[in-house]
Amino acid sequence: MKITQTALAGTLESSDLLVKIEPSEQLEIVINSDVNKQFGKQIRHVVESTLASLNVNNGLIIIDDKGALDCVITARIQSAVLRASKDKAQWSELL
Amino acid sequence: MIEPTFKTFSGINDQVVLDSIKNLLQSVNLNLDPNLDHIIVGIVEKEIIACAGLDHNVIKCVAVHPNYQGSNITLSLINQVLELAHDKGLHHLFLYTKPENVHLFKACGFYPIAQLPGIITLMENTPVGISHYCNTLVKQKKSGTCGAIVMNANPFTSGHLYLAEQAAKKVDWLYIFVVSEDASLFSSEVRYKLVKEGVSHLKNVIVLPGSAYIISKATFPSYFLKEQTLIEQSYMAIDLLIFRQYIAPALSISKRFVGTEPYSEVTNAYNQAMKEWLQSEDKSTSPTITVIEIARVTHDDDVISASRVRSLLMQKKYQQVHALVPPSTWAYIEQHYAIKNQ
Repeated sequence: MKITQTALAGTLESSDLLVKIEPSEQLEIVINSDVNKQFGKQIRHVVESTLASLNVNNGLIIIDDKGALDCVITARIQSAVLRASKDKAQWSELL
Repeated sequence: MIEPTFKTFSGINDQVVLDSIKNLLQSVNLNLDPNLDHIIVGIVEKEIIACAGLDHNVIKCVAVHPNYQGSNITLSLINQVLELAHDKGLHHLFLYTKPENVHLFKACGFYPIAQLPGIITLMENTPVGISHYCNTLVKQKKSGTCGAIVMNANPFTSGHLYLAEQAAKKVDWLYIFVVSEDASLFSSEVRYKLVKEGVSHLKNVIVLPGSAYIISKATFPSYFLKEQTLIEQSYMAIDLLIFRQYIAPALSISKRFVGTEPYSEVTNAYNQAMKEWLQSEDKSTSPTITVIEIARVTHDDDVISASRVRSLLMQKKYQQVHALVPPSTWAYIEQHYAIKNQ
């Protein structure tokens, strides 16, 4: 999916994360997490694989994580991408 | 854990609410900024215990009552502000805070840009904002001695042209940044176009659109205030520090040119602040930038300035305007103002 507009999903509450996506030529991911030391690698893996499953190849993805579970991270990224793109979602791909 | 309810105000008529916000701000040594578009308050048991204001894309006046500090209310509060701003289409946000509170806002996804130790820190809600901007600047980088002028050019006059010509003689390359904030009579697009046309004969001049990082509502809020009495020294310092620490190094700018300012108090104070914040060794670890003031050119015993041109335009004295602007600006004015032969 092509990122065409700025979108937000999530919150800054504990156990959640705020995902901000902006249009950009390249794909760039910035992760800022309270638990970066312990789970930084795992978080990045979840973020990258979620974006890959949605075919996102461009955009600036900024994540402020407050210790969210993997399933929450996936859900928030999916919402943010759907809001940031004019392409129709392939719902079967999101499950 | 206390969960406050949040409420957004766009202009407050209720004196009781206003007073309690003022009291709350006072309890953390802040004053209510008169230019806020929106104020979000957090309420616990009918008491206002937290507030944050939004002035266009700048978050100001953030306060949490001392009894409620340390309970993560700042996160919920800023979250409300982020959503409100996003709804208004404002995505790139700035925030002013005291340096000792920077860590609170780092936790909300804000990153520091420039700081006056002990006084104020400017933060933005992206980790890559200013670095991306500098990367776009680096593409324009030239070798040799480089200078810069920052101008609003509202509109571009023969005075601006003179300043550009004089400055261009003193350096190998001259960058002209045109302030991009749309708070002037002429739109930023028109101002940029007229500067570009006006200096097109100068082969070593590169005209660049300004950005949120050069004399914008974020870096220098008081520049755009109608009443020019309030001169916020600290804002000016932040604006100049950003220029010195990010923009000038990206383009190897070692000189900044400016016209002498006989009338506008704000511009004059900015010129003075420039000498202090760009030239002093002890204000920043970034290389110093020499500030060069060039005397304004005059016509009919008075300096040529954009404000003089604007006032003549208001009075419909177009022939007098003609004498103060270069042909390219005149062509635009002729086209867009109903000018009859006088």
